Amino acid sequence: MIYIVVALPAEARPLIARYGLRDRPAGTAFPVYRNAGMALTVSGPGKIAAAAAAACLGSGGPATGTPAWLNIGVAGHATRAIGSGVIANRITDTATGTNWYPPQLLDHAISSGSLRTVDAAEIGYPDDTLYDMEASGFYPTACRFSTAELVQCFKVVSDNRTTPASGITARLCERLLDGQLASIDRLVRRLTDMARDYNAWHAPHPELDRLAGCWHFSVTQQHRLRELARRWTALAPGQPLWDAELENRRNAAEVLQCLEHRLAAIGF
Amino acid sequence: MYCTIYIEDPVTDHPRTREILDRFPRASRVACHRYGEVFNPKAQDFRLQKHHPALILAHKHERRVLPAPAGYGIGDGRAYYFSHLLNCLYDCRYCFLQGMYRSAHHVLFVNYEDFQSDIGRLLEGAGGTDCWFFSGYDCDSLALDPVTGFTGAFLPFFAGHPRARIELRTKSTQVRGLLRRKPLANAVIAFSFTPEEIHRSLEHGVPAVGRRLDALVRLHQAGWPVGLRFDPLIYREDFRQQYRRLFRQIFTRIDGSRLHSVSLGTFRLPRAYFRNIARLYPDEPLFAGAFTERDGMLSCQHALEQDLTGFCTGELLRYIPASRLFPCAAAA
Repeated sequence: MIYIVVALPAEARPLIARYGLRDRPAGTAFPVYRNAGMALTVSGPGKIAAAAAAACLGSGGPATGTPAWLNIGVAGHATRAIGSGVIANRITDTATGTNWYPPQLLDHAISSGSLRTVDAAEIGYPDDTLYDMEASGFYPTACRFSTAELVQCFKVVSDNRTTPASGITARLCERLLDGQLASIDRLVRRLTDMARDYNAWHAPHPELDRLAGCWHFSVTQQHRLRELARRWTALAPGQPLWDAELENRRNAAEVLQCLEHRLAAIGF
Repeated sequence: MYCTIYIEDPVTDHPRTREILDRFPRASRVACHRYGEVFNPKAQDFRLQKHHPALILAHKHERRVLPAPAGYGIGDGRAYYFSHLLNCLYDCRYCFLQGMYRSAHHVLFVNYEDFQSDIGRLLEGAGGTDCWFFSGYDCDSLALDPVTGFTGAFLPFFAGHPRARIELRTKSTQVRGLLRRKPLANAVIAFSFTPEEIHRSLEHGVPAVGRRLDALVRLHQAGWPVGLRFDPLIYREDFRQQYRRLFRQIFTRIDGSRLHSVSLGTFRLPRAYFRNIARLYPDEPLFAGAFTERDGMLSCQHALEQDLTGFCTGELLRYIPASRLFPCAAAA
């Protein structure tokens, strides 16, 4: 699953079309468009809006699994060419001076650079960095729902010293995003693959629900059960936890004891 | 090799930084104030990062040279360790670094001269007592040597301080730099080994046992003091055959009586590190056995541990004099 946060409807439109996303009224403050493996929300401009939209999307997320996250939008830069795509390797909140460093494990065919989130549009471009208005709200919020490697920001340059921000229109935003769909596609694929691997590593044992449905496990017992199931998967891969011997146990304590005996029999 | 290099502001202009950056002209360079901003945040996944670690160039401000953990020493004298590098090129499933750090990025402290000043001060304070300095505690001493220039910077320093002894602990075959140098009597190159079967299942990216052995023999023939490290010893049901085979493989290539030292220690981890690693690799059988806790350390059952250590000690003593064998105190 991948969650995408964009600021503007114009930034959303090329993505909605590319991924066949459908408007799914979610009863939340932000519009959400979905397909089976993706959810996109439109936050409106500004870091607070981006943080709120990410929180909304994350808290209404899938019951299991850790999603990947992508913030996509336009940004300014002093000298980079209009239309070029950049992945953020450092995000700075200008107001507070806080920095974040999204781990760069992805496609290095895409150029990377630093990104400053500002509270008002930056027209002087004083530093060699991208300027946007959302990333510092999006990134730390998304990291609460995922691991940092799966949270990235991708920006398309919309303005620079020779082409000022005053010339940005919804049409231009759409065209700029449209021109970077190949890179976005690659990012989405790589992030989704990484999230799939990550979730496979951390997936709970598939029979845990069945066991929890048959006996009452206290919270402590649930922890023990999960740990025993983990060890069972590692030591007896592919072998079911559930068997006739387990079925006859009268309560959770007996189930745990039975599993412990079974693991002890496997040895070290 | 590195696609991203983070550079701490204070070392931007350090000559070693410039040299390393020149080696990786295509890497993205990211400035940071302190390496901890990149290395320490929560919500990082060591396992994901291990596939594509970045390099962080940093300045080590304090606590550069520390007393070695109990049982880490070999022989007489005071024992210290220092880490110019955090994390390792290799991916050994039993390694405690996976449980200790949140990030798999490689942190290189480029201010070697400060490490050397600290070592010099400790030697002055030791009043003529021999001191050991272990360099391979938080990293492999040699695996990244072509990038870090570690031996090129530190061996000349130790050549000038004969009362100081350095151990370079490694699983690497990066010995060309050493072979180009005059051997030092106070520098021991210590190679870590596990049996082939364990190497194949747990030591990802590590050169094969035979290749490491080749490197060890070449150094030995060139006159370098070399040592063997069997730490951790890993329990397997057929450990007797596995370790007997490994020792035979090694000691048919090298005369045990001419080794500087041999040390061994069983697999053990602090509880918190164990929990972190088991979370990272829930399906790894190594972390699924029945471990027991003693003094905050998790290890395999005491009887099995004693069986393993006793057997390996006995086998090793067939090849080496007892005076060269140093069981790690925790395994003794």
